[in-house]
Amino acid sequence: MECQNARSMIPSYCDGELSEAQAGPLRQHLLDCQPCRGSAQDLKNLKRWFAASEAAAVPHGFAARVARRAMQGDTGELVAGEAVLRTGEEGGRLLHFVLACTAAAAGLMLMLAIGVRQLGLPQSPRISADPTKPSLERALQDLDRINRAEKAPHALPKKP
Amino acid sequence: MEQEATDDTCLVEEALGGNQASFQLLVERYEQRIFNLIRHYTRNPVEIEDLAQETFLKAFRRLSSFQRQSSFYTWLYRIGVNTILDSLKRRGRSPVQAVEDLEAVPAASSASSPSPSATLEREEIARITQGVLEELPEIFRTVLVLREYEDMAYQDIADMLGISIGTVESRLFRARARFKERLLQKHPEFGNES
Repeated sequence: MECQNARSMIPSYCDGELSEAQAGPLRQHLLDCQPCRGSAQDLKNLKRWFAASEAAAVPHGFAARVARRAMQGDTGELVAGEAVLRTGEEGGRLLHFVLACTAAAAGLMLMLAIGVRQLGLPQSPRISADPTKPSLERALQDLDRINRAEKAPHALPKKP
Repeated sequence: MEQEATDDTCLVEEALGGNQASFQLLVERYEQRIFNLIRHYTRNPVEIEDLAQETFLKAFRRLSSFQRQSSFYTWLYRIGVNTILDSLKRRGRSPVQAVEDLEAVPAASSASSPSPSATLEREEIARITQGVLEELPEIFRTVLVLREYEDMAYQDIADMLGISIGTVESRLFRARARFKERLLQKHPEFGNES
């Protein structure tokens, strides 16, 4: 038997899928060929990872519950629905979390905006948005001077 | 085994006639194996129970289509596997998508396969294996579970998954290669042993 043939048959051999007529020549080849024997050992090593673990826990009364639901006409689709619902609940929890984060971020932004606005506003009571206010007195004086000038026309420059 | 099959057929007949106790007996007979099967796909106890329940309820609904000449367990098992795969699809982990991964699987590594250390407890080996299996595409995980844990013959796996024996062989080959690769990536400490 050629090594190439032997290698392709090793998985089936290790899985007990070969007839004795097929397994016999392969077994002989494995005795004679160290590299192919190594391949078979390699697969056996890998299969050891699949050792049976402890049995899964079956809840008490499971069979009775299922039989009762079956007789009540539960088709099983309800359970699938429940699974979807469970997924929905998980989605709902996620949505709540996202909404809470969004609300917190919005609140933070609002507070930040108010803070920035406060910092941007003029803080001194003497500062006014009307730039003419500080010179109001001067404006009144100017007005008064004009009035006085009108009352005394000689004081005005002569017209050309 | 033959006696069990006969009993199963009788119980199926009685359950079809509306006998709740008979169906309960069928569930009790196979609940452990179905729970064990599902546990290879999820570790969440609530989810395991949901899927097991769904499997048995679907089985009851389709009980009239059960062919008496085949094993009840093989028939039930097929429903269980399909229920699991449907659930994985619902959760967005489509086994169909995973088929594309077949092309991405590298050829079997020339490094020798690690063997679990003699000092590792059985449960520790199971935990490591489960962790690696969870990272494999569903189609690879399923053939490994059916072959290695359920000790199913290639023909039975082919029948259950609706694929050819040749596909079972090639999928199993690639699944083992991927398992070995992921095992060594996650646990390089095992690479020096064997």
